[in-house]
Amino acid sequence: MPSSTSSSDPVAAPQGIVHREGALPAGLRLTASDRPGQAQPVPTRDVPAQPWGPILAGVLVALAVGAVGLELNARERIGLHPGDLDNSEISWSNEKLHAVGAPAAIVGDSRILFDTDLDRFEALTGVRPIQLSIHGTSALTLLENMADDKEFNGVLIVGLADTMFFQPFDGYGGYVKKWHEFRAPYRIVSNEIDHVLQRRLAFMDSNYRLSVIAHRLDPNFRSGVEGPKDDIWKLQEVGEHRATHLWDRVENDPAWRARTRWAWKGFKEDFPFTPGLIANGQARAKVAVEKIRARGGEVVFVRPPSAPELRVNEEAQVPKAKGWDVLLANTHSVGVHIDDLPAAQSLTLPEWSHLGRRCATVYTDIYVRRLTELTPRLKLRADAPSPLSKAYCASA
Amino acid sequence: MIFNSLTFLVFFAIVLAIHNTPIFSWHQKKINLLLASYLFYAAWNPPFVILLWVSTVVDWWAAQWMVRAKHERTRKVWMITSVVVNIGMLGCFKYGGFLLNNFIALASSVGIAYQPPEWNIILPVGISFYTFATLSYTLDVYLRRAKPAQHFLDYALFVTFFPHLVAGPIMRPTELVPQFASTRRATPHQLYFGLSLMILGLFQKVVLADGFLSPVVEKVYDAREGAPMALDAWAATLAFSGQIFCDFAGYSTTAIGVAMCLGFAMPDNFRFPYAAVGFSDFWRRWHITLSSWLRDYLYIPLGGNRRGPMRTYTALMGTMLLGGLWHGAAWTFVVWGGLHGTYLAVERWLRARFAGWTPGPLAFVGLGFLTYVLVNITWVFFRAKDFASASTMLTSMAGLAENPIPMIALLPMIYAMLIISAIVGTHWWMRDKTLEIAVERTPSWLVGGLLAIMAVAVLAEQGKGSAFIYFQF
Repeated sequence: MPSSTSSSDPVAAPQGIVHREGALPAGLRLTASDRPGQAQPVPTRDVPAQPWGPILAGVLVALAVGAVGLELNARERIGLHPGDLDNSEISWSNEKLHAVGAPAAIVGDSRILFDTDLDRFEALTGVRPIQLSIHGTSALTLLENMADDKEFNGVLIVGLADTMFFQPFDGYGGYVKKWHEFRAPYRIVSNEIDHVLQRRLAFMDSNYRLSVIAHRLDPNFRSGVEGPKDDIWKLQEVGEHRATHLWDRVENDPAWRARTRWAWKGFKEDFPFTPGLIANGQARAKVAVEKIRARGGEVVFVRPPSAPELRVNEEAQVPKAKGWDVLLANTHSVGVHIDDLPAAQSLTLPEWSHLGRRCATVYTDIYVRRLTELTPRLKLRADAPSPLSKAYCASA
Repeated sequence: MIFNSLTFLVFFAIVLAIHNTPIFSWHQKKINLLLASYLFYAAWNPPFVILLWVSTVVDWWAAQWMVRAKHERTRKVWMITSVVVNIGMLGCFKYGGFLLNNFIALASSVGIAYQPPEWNIILPVGISFYTFATLSYTLDVYLRRAKPAQHFLDYALFVTFFPHLVAGPIMRPTELVPQFASTRRATPHQLYFGLSLMILGLFQKVVLADGFLSPVVEKVYDAREGAPMALDAWAATLAFSGQIFCDFAGYSTTAIGVAMCLGFAMPDNFRFPYAAVGFSDFWRRWHITLSSWLRDYLYIPLGGNRRGPMRTYTALMGTMLLGGLWHGAAWTFVVWGGLHGTYLAVERWLRARFAGWTPGPLAFVGLGFLTYVLVNITWVFFRAKDFASASTMLTSMAGLAENPIPMIALLPMIYAMLIISAIVGTHWWMRDKTLEIAVERTPSWLVGGLLAIMAVAVLAEQGKGSAFIYFQF
């Protein structure tokens, strides 16, 4: 049957070069564009005469070799680890569903995301908070998202970087406003399959896709362009339920650390945080906090550390007295500012903005203990582990 | 689900295995394919399967009653019923918000502050594609080009068959329904070649379109402020010409490969369009199944070229404007279609004016280059979010922007230009060939080597990417 793919071909195809299957005209194959105003016939589809069996076998071998090579490169040269799960929108929305009726949840930007050790939090309080923070996102956007979520009436920990909190943009996490829309069943399933693979394969890291690596080879060749070097590259590792910490290469590789510090240069630039902008943020926060309290929930604020290299500009842009202090007074909330935690003052921030992995555990230990003193919604367990100090950061 | 997802990989492996299981009869296998197709569609948004059912049932019965009708008028009523139901659903879901916004703007222009509730309806994926496919069924029956399907199962599978369901190729009933009449199963070589086509299609989509071209396009077209330098504006627009081709042709190639693995044949949707010389040639090479659909069911019924020049030009422009609107509910798409309509009209006039002229080799290539450049101008309206950004882009491309800024880093720009050069070069090399002829004439080691490189590149790109651009249509 030459006019389409055929099921009448011999069942046992010969080895090597095969006979042509279907018609293969010498010139162009006709298409619907050549047959105006008529019923279109069953299309022609030919199989070129090639040894397809050996060719596909070769492709499979190449895929196997490629996968092994990519995995070795990822583990040995790049420093990626299996179990590092992509922090996708679906992962966030999965946690959002878990927040229904949860006793505690955390929202905020990357600082509270990286600097909170969920295991330590649970060990201290018996409560494992739902991690809903998103890097590069205004905590205010996420606070409002939780305020609109009538199913949540636990304690909400809002971690903030002052400049990001009061910025007029949502940031990367703007998608949370329409989070139901991207929960297509196939995306949920793909996310699960992704995670199954990522628990076993290190190279399945979206930061190290072929095109990303190729683009990152550009060290800002072209002057005046906001190039790949100016973007943050891989910064964190993400575990189950979005438990996130700073990638160990950022801590241990000076070149990588320097590259990341370079990308934070935006934190050193001026942004017009006008009094009106800050007042608007304060007003939005007040409304959101009141909504949560009205249904029995509670809100507390946390301001994680940043290195002096960044802090000086953050303070200049949004002074603590006008930002943080007013926020607490205006919303009648308690909060834990890094300045109020003497024991956390000298923790190491390898790239100035986030704590190293073990230091994050120490910081969690310190700020959660303080929270249990400030709010009755979180209680220190009787069998809570002993307090940690900076020495833990350096211990193996 | 989308082809470039791990979910599809698992889904396809299961479907392929079941389809090749000897325990099922052909009838049962068709039911299996139908159920798999509904699952494929429901993977986006399960309730929208109801729309598919409505479209399927209405058109099935419309065709049945058309055949049974004793009067021409009754036939026409059933045809119109089918058109109204299908276009009505399309209009409601796709153009409702657009119409409402235009009405608000119109009311505002005469001083009426009309504030309706927010139009918050999600566009069902692929609705434009399956609406056109199923419409072609009733229209072909009405025009007596085809007989209605013998069995409802065959017809339902024609509408729903997952390889073409959401982004084409837009199949006609006469192309697909006959294939359901008897047992279809791919031979080993059809299966292998089908898989090879899937690798090629996924490479185009995942690696070229999403990986290397899309970031260059987004850097300029999605810039929040500032006008790009001429170099950046042209690079982004050329990159978009590659992105839209690799995205859509990649989908079509994958769909053809998927169907072939199951033993079915689907028509070509692209024939190396960037080697087109002239715009009628371009539309014989770009999205062939849509352009031929518009020609057969819109341009020809509007009069085509049979009723004098004015009617021809009007029909041409009307068809292209509606074709533009088919792509998206925005005036930018209408302008895109209008530009193509204008190009086609001017070309038609020139062909009549210089009927005896045949271009030499240099003029031929020159006209091809001119065609490509003018097509790129239209892509600006296709990609820009609004007229303001389209205007910014065109001003920059003309070198007239004030204080333009560089936007694209050097290496990404070089990659994009290399890819575009390769695409355009390949199209010219292949312009009078089929892919199959080119593959057959290529040494086996080279075919295998290229396929291996593409497969490993898809793996290194982790096989994922964003949704196909044409899904939104």
